Amino acid sequence: MTQGSNRLKIATSRINFERPLSITFDGKSYPAYAGDTLASALLGSGVRMLGRSFKYGRPRGIIGAGPEEPNALIQLEQGAQTVPNLKATQVEVYSGLKARRTTGWPSLNVDAKSIGGRFSRFMPAGFYYKTFKYPAALWPRYEHIIRHAAGYGSAPLETDPDLYDHKHHHVQVLVVGGGASGLVAALTAGQAGLRVLLLDEQNELGGWLLSQPNASIGGKTAPAWLKAIAAELESLPNVSILTRTSAFALHDMNAIQAVEQLQDHLPLAHRSHDQPRQRLHRIRADRIILASGAIERPLVYGNNDLPGIFTASAMTTYLNRYSVACGHNVLLMTSNDHVYQGAIDLARAGVRVTLADTRAQINATLEQRAKVAGIQLYKGYGIAQANGRRGVHSAQLVKLDAADNRVTGTGPLVSCDAIASSGGLSPTVHLYCHDGGRPVWDEAKLAYIAPALGRESASIFVAGSACGEFGLAAALQQSRSVANAAAASLGKTAVDTPLDLSSDEPVATPARRIFRVPDGKPEGHGAKAFVDYQNDVAVSDIQLAVRENYKSIEHIKRYTALGFGTDQGKLSNVNGFAIAADALGKHISEVGTTTYRPAYSPVTFGTLAGAHEGDTFEPKRYTAMHPAHVARGALFEPVGQWLRPWYFPKAGEDMHAAVQRECRATRRSVGMMDASTLGKIDIRGKDVREFLNRVYANAWTNLAPGKCRYGLMLDENGMVFDDGVTSCIADDHFVMTTTTGGAGRVMTWLEKWHQTEWPELDVYMTSVTDHWATAAVVGPNSRKVLQKICGDIDLSADAFKFMDWREGTVAGVPARVFRISFSGELAFEVNVDATYGHHVWEALMDAGREFDITPYGTESMHVLRAEKGFIIVGQDTDGSMTPFDLDMGWAVGMKKPYSFIGKRSFKRSDTARSDRKQLVGLLTDDPKEVLREGAQIIESNNTSPPVKMLGHVTSSYFSPELGRSIAMAVVRDGIARKKPEGQQAGRDVVYAWAGGKAVRAKIVSYVFVDPKGERQNV
Amino acid sequence: MSKPMLQSPLHHLGLAKQAVKPDGRHGVWANEVPLAGYIALRGDATSAAFVDAVSKTLGLALPTQPCGLAQAADAKIAWLSPDEWLLVCARDKVPVTIAALQAALVGVRSQVVDNSGGYTQVLLTGANAREVLAHCTVYDIDHLDAGRVVGTTFGKSAVILHRQDRGFCLIFRRSFAEYIWRFMVRAATPYGFGVAARDDADATARETV
Repeated sequence: MTQGSNRLKIATSRINFERPLSITFDGKSYPAYAGDTLASALLGSGVRMLGRSFKYGRPRGIIGAGPEEPNALIQLEQGAQTVPNLKATQVEVYSGLKARRTTGWPSLNVDAKSIGGRFSRFMPAGFYYKTFKYPAALWPRYEHIIRHAAGYGSAPLETDPDLYDHKHHHVQVLVVGGGASGLVAALTAGQAGLRVLLLDEQNELGGWLLSQPNASIGGKTAPAWLKAIAAELESLPNVSILTRTSAFALHDMNAIQAVEQLQDHLPLAHRSHDQPRQRLHRIRADRIILASGAIERPLVYGNNDLPGIFTASAMTTYLNRYSVACGHNVLLMTSNDHVYQGAIDLARAGVRVTLADTRAQINATLEQRAKVAGIQLYKGYGIAQANGRRGVHSAQLVKLDAADNRVTGTGPLVSCDAIASSGGLSPTVHLYCHDGGRPVWDEAKLAYIAPALGRESASIFVAGSACGEFGLAAALQQSRSVANAAAASLGKTAVDTPLDLSSDEPVATPARRIFRVPDGKPEGHGAKAFVDYQNDVAVSDIQLAVRENYKSIEHIKRYTALGFGTDQGKLSNVNGFAIAADALGKHISEVGTTTYRPAYSPVTFGTLAGAHEGDTFEPKRYTAMHPAHVARGALFEPVGQWLRPWYFPKAGEDMHAAVQRECRATRRSVGMMDASTLGKIDIRGKDVREFLNRVYANAWTNLAPGKCRYGLMLDENGMVFDDGVTSCIADDHFVMTTTTGGAGRVMTWLEKWHQTEWPELDVYMTSVTDHWATAAVVGPNSRKVLQKICGDIDLSADAFKFMDWREGTVAGVPARVFRISFSGELAFEVNVDATYGHHVWEALMDAGREFDITPYGTESMHVLRAEKGFIIVGQDTDGSMTPFDLDMGWAVGMKKPYSFIGKRSFKRSDTARSDRKQLVGLLTDDPKEVLREGAQIIESNNTSPPVKMLGHVTSSYFSPELGRSIAMAVVRDGIARKKPEGQQAGRDVVYAWAGGKAVRAKIVSYVFVDPKGERQNV
Repeated sequence: MSKPMLQSPLHHLGLAKQAVKPDGRHGVWANEVPLAGYIALRGDATSAAFVDAVSKTLGLALPTQPCGLAQAADAKIAWLSPDEWLLVCARDKVPVTIAALQAALVGVRSQVVDNSGGYTQVLLTGANAREVLAHCTVYDIDHLDAGRVVGTTFGKSAVILHRQDRGFCLIFRRSFAEYIWRFMVRAATPYGFGVAARDDADATARETV
């Protein structure tokens, strides 16, 4: 067949012959026209073979015309913009489109897998499971080869240059599907005055009507009717329509996700960088009307996968919508009436048509129409086997028994260049089933249908062929009435505007119940008959699975791969269920279906991510001083969502050098840290002290105004979950600080306990984390620095003691100054309205210049606090540490009159036992050896298993102050081990094991520097 | 020592320099309304003593219905939850307002907290302002009538949102400000985005008091 020879000029088609385009497939140019899909353009040029099959490497071509396509998976464009595994049937052509096949290696004509395919008799279902099991050690090598052979297209390696976004919708009625039924449903709901959104997957409204221009509705031809109803919908301001928008998921509470292709149909050069390529629509609808249509399933027969074999509806679509004849001499096979109009259209277009109807009896009107059109009709015949190598050239018909699906005699060998079949319609029930709905087998319609009102209680209605209304007039009437029912459920009266929905279809003759067309041979002896094309699942594979005792359809699916892949079995599933039912000796309704899960069709990661990528991937929280840190060359580390300065390297410094310098400067003169990220909660009310008594382990009754106190917060199990300093502002007013990462959790925790357990307590709390900016001025010279810019607070040691706070003015700004320390040094934390945060930071830097004030980050903060043995909740604790495990019993007030959260759990035997993992200090024998955080603590350096694990290293640094390494660790019975008795018994020696090395260390107090706490009191 | 300088949460973006008078060029316009005063207010909406004391002190009826917004020329009160409100007023009025509220609420279970450093607002206008919100928030904007305020999601963060003039006012926390601004600008890009010159010319002056 020569190129382009399959192009017809069907006047009613959707092809714009005025706009010819050029496209490239596999490096070769082909003509196309506006309105084409890649599939129709290739078929129009006579391209039949597009790839090789997944398992056997068999030649494959286009079968369908939409999302059901299993074979024609292509790779679109190149480089960063490449998209793998698109269905050629869904790719709208544009000028300059470049695509290539995704299978066939090393070439389409010589495929490595096809050699295996010749031995396909020896590659049954489960072949890979059975063959590559032994020896297990060889699996990595098997896997390498299998992975190379498997799969289709390739993911792009470059960053996606396109824009994507999300949009939220709230509508009263969402109609999914813009075919005839969806249009009537949307119009009805729109006329009722409801806010309606109509989605359709294709580039224009109309659905199946676009393939049936000769159908008539209410006396109008399909194109005229479509034009009229589309105009009417557009005139309704309460109706919105999105085309090129595929609803791919239905979730609980009527949440639908749909993807809109905004620019994929445009030439690459015409796409705007300011516009999204695709948009994810997230829709909440009071009512959903699924008018998702139906997909024709093919009949199953020998060699039914040859290029040139289609579904009957696809062949009709290529003819009527795209002006393409799939062949010049076609053979059709059917079990039902649906194919007749298409067959007649083909014959009228000049195609030679032979039609094998598996039924002995058919509607006389249809038979007459077919004969008038010149169709050669074989009643009671089926195709036993198609013949051909890289494309079909003939088929062997057989005579079928009128009742049973068995061969009663042979039939003619029909020469043909294309075959199409129809085994009936399978309603598109996917969305209906995504949130747990199940389709119902309708024996009269031979289909799993979604009942029209089956989920009325869930506000989901079904219209048209999706609920088994396969006749046009009946479907439209039903769509009108179901939309009225949906409107009525929203309190609207039924729309009674007359709408003529009559059609001229003849009365339908019942379809024949046939899925696998028999060839007169036992299964497995004749030509392979494929059920699932994408996964190369043949009838014999399903039968083998059943013989091997797979009984559940879900197991049969997983053993054979039936229904997997990018087409999700849209053509194959129902045939597979029926064939499995036969093999199991059950009725198809007893076998049921596999589970329908989102997504209906593949969705790009870009669409799912939307704006949640790059700069806007995650919220990044900044303090008011952030510009000051950037100006001083800070490197940042994320803490929760905050970006905190990590360290401030000077030229040539690595992290170690910078941290040593920052720590030394702080301990010897003065350093400064941005502590704004700590959570801050303002708590007020006359019961605030009692409230604190209950949420903290220690006591708050007597803390005087002007004083601060450290507190541990425990969960119900008595485990430490947050800590911080809380200050008394007034008798009824406290300000709590929390850890940076724990701020939100603590706020929620306090509200929960107040609202649900102690509503009688007169107390309110408000997060003021963002209001206060905090500069911690730390070190022996911190007082001198602060004195320079704070004239109204007496900063002297006697007037302003450790754990006091004062109100005053710093750098001309109202401030709260807290004399608290997370380093063990003399330190002041200056809190100001964050609006002044940057100003005050710079003022403190100016004031500290003569003392070489050094900004430091979180890394130095960690070293300074570890030198003092201050814990970090979440690093030295892990949700299983009590205050006693931390050797911090001093922070527990067991004598408080009312209990506190966690207290009761101290009495549980496991919490009370003395040999729990406890926090201790560790000093290595070699002072240069810095233990690895997370290293396992073990008893000896004998690491031959089993080795008892005693705990692990939680914090480990090189201490600039001590000139040696220090570590904190949790160790079983650690507190007793470090006592004199433990030392005498040698129990204070342990080993820290990491990276294949056991390092000897001694258990010591975890306060390494200034154990008496003198420095912070100067 | 330099004079105390106020910096709004979006100060570093230099929006004032980019601002132009809104016109039909872009579908979306926005700018920060910086340096307002924010006071968190908590109390019992069913307590007449509390509601009366607040309403009288502020000269503005405290909205006790869910999502209520009370607006005056120089202040507004947004209902945040059954016992929580956000009062937005001129920044220089914050100390006197807090003092007056606390004086009026002596003996009444309540909390009044200055949160002025913790928030900012953005005014979002233009023909496609509503679309931008539909991209960024899950709330049904068509249900956001004038006089209503909601707290809702904004990307992975949150905003307090109400209609203002011909557009929308977004109130959000300082630390999330840059993220929210960037997320909004990104959503607005397909419609064309411009930084709108503010009507309140004196605000720029105040920023460098």
